[in-house]
Amino acid sequence: MSAASGPGIDVADYRDVWVFVEQHEGEAAPVSWELLAKGRELADETGESLVALVVGDGVAHLAEEAVARGADRALLADDPVFEPYRADPYGEQFRALVEARKPSIVLIGGTHTGRDFAGRVAVPAHAGLTADCTELAVDEEGLLLASRPTFGGSAMATIKCPAHRPQMATVRAGVFDAGEPAEPTENAADAVESVEVVVAEEDTLSTVLERVVGGVVDITDADVIVAGGAGCEGDVTPLVELAEALGGEVAATRAAVEEGWVEPARQVGQTGKTVRPQLYIAAGISGAVQHLEGMNGSDVVVAVNTDPNAPIFEHADYGIVGDLHEVLPALTAMVREKQEVAA
Amino acid sequence: MNDGWNIVVCVKQVPDADDVTIDPDTGTLNRSDAPAVLNKPDHNAVESALALRDAVGGTVTAVTMGPPPASAVLQAAVAAGADGGVLLTDRAFGGSDTWPTSLALARAAEELDADVVICGEESTDSSTGQVPPGIAAHNGWAQLTYTESLDPRPDEGVLVGTRDVEGGYERVATALPVVVAMVFGANDPRPAGLHRKIFAETEFEPVQWTAADLGIEDRVGLVNSPTKVGGMDTASPVERERTRVDSVEALYDHLAEVL
Repeated sequence: MSAASGPGIDVADYRDVWVFVEQHEGEAAPVSWELLAKGRELADETGESLVALVVGDGVAHLAEEAVARGADRALLADDPVFEPYRADPYGEQFRALVEARKPSIVLIGGTHTGRDFAGRVAVPAHAGLTADCTELAVDEEGLLLASRPTFGGSAMATIKCPAHRPQMATVRAGVFDAGEPAEPTENAADAVESVEVVVAEEDTLSTVLERVVGGVVDITDADVIVAGGAGCEGDVTPLVELAEALGGEVAATRAAVEEGWVEPARQVGQTGKTVRPQLYIAAGISGAVQHLEGMNGSDVVVAVNTDPNAPIFEHADYGIVGDLHEVLPALTAMVREKQEVAA
Repeated sequence: MNDGWNIVVCVKQVPDADDVTIDPDTGTLNRSDAPAVLNKPDHNAVESALALRDAVGGTVTAVTMGPPPASAVLQAAVAAGADGGVLLTDRAFGGSDTWPTSLALARAAEELDADVVICGEESTDSSTGQVPPGIAAHNGWAQLTYTESLDPRPDEGVLVGTRDVEGGYERVATALPVVVAMVFGANDPRPAGLHRKIFAETEFEPVQWTAADLGIEDRVGLVNSPTKVGGMDTASPVERERTRVDSVEALYDHLAEVL
């Protein structure tokens, strides 16, 4: 199949798997390494090279780490214009690199930064871009099969990009495993190529006036999550105490976040985070599909709800009908008691 | 720029997501013929557009792409306070993925001489969030995605947005024109006024533009969409025990195995 319209490209000119290494102030976003590990698998299958794309200011160490983590090569665009992240200079640099080097596949983290970047750079490349993929594979012709849950998570749609390149996909944090971090080998630097920076500060369209990060929890790392919904009725203390006793984190539905009971960074679901803890306790959560989508990958799900017919019970391993304001404190007391005995 | 800004707000008609549940046995959607409504995050976009007009003056024009019934979402925007609406409608648009969709909206924004284009965070039916940065990219304009609030500086021709970024926020000043995507829930949309509502329902007629009107008849539709749906599989429903317990002790015993 040829590109009937669009850029009229020859897809055979495009090869290699690229991973965009998202970083802020020299620190890589964890999803970058998860994608690098997945990209390694895909590149091995297509027999192509895995290339890390590292853009920033003073980020050569990340290019070397990418090589240590399995990239065959790293492309490094290192310049003050790239810190902090802005869509327009990153987009312009990416456009130039794609034109010159023609990657076949590009993987990008499904963070706010990654989605901002992916949406911008897919357009000039006339690339196919699939958002929030949960499975990535290649078919016998080397085409990327990018699968994502469709609305509500009831079905998986597999998206292909037969006639356009690159084939781009974003993937949320926590979907793939990063593997073990490796020490940079002595010759890692040899596999890093500094590329020409094509953006000048005076050509940019935006200025970051202030950037305040840190001190915000990352619930995607937690092994245990105690999540609350509308049933909290303004009191999340039982969640906090149980999470503390279990060494876990508090999370919430969109409804609880909108009420202001729990901070937005802890929201699970379609417009929040995707989590896969060992234990997910859903308290006072009815089980709307938008929420289920964000927690369905949890190992064990517990539901606590006053409504015996709440849909969440159908998506839980263990369910108890009751008020979370009674059930959770009782459970917390029991957990603490056993811990004391054990101590 | 002292006579106000041309503000364009992009809206989308989607199936109402509120009553949709998953059948746990089959993994299929119980959609009960969900009615078509204005995409929820777009309510925040409309509110931001109206608030921006309150602050700097100018006009708010709602734009949507879709078949003629989609003009219902333009009506909703006009009822809320938008000055006018444009329906991009053409068989040629059929099957467009986010690439041609953002091209059509970008061309419309250009035709409307937009200073600021405001969108919702993403649509609830396809949830890619790719259209707002796509519009910006097609036109070579600045972009502000995941925006929580806007601070216009009309004297400087600058829009400052506070963006939600992982682990915090950032404030970014952009040149005009700029494409903004508001965070879902960023504001409290104002209710439609009665007179405005009556006007929207009885007198308002959207302007209609075809692909040819926008000069993009050869660049839209399925054939110009890089992505193709290669297959649909029913997602295997996650197997759960679905064990009901009747006491906290029994629950603890199950959890002790996990912990």
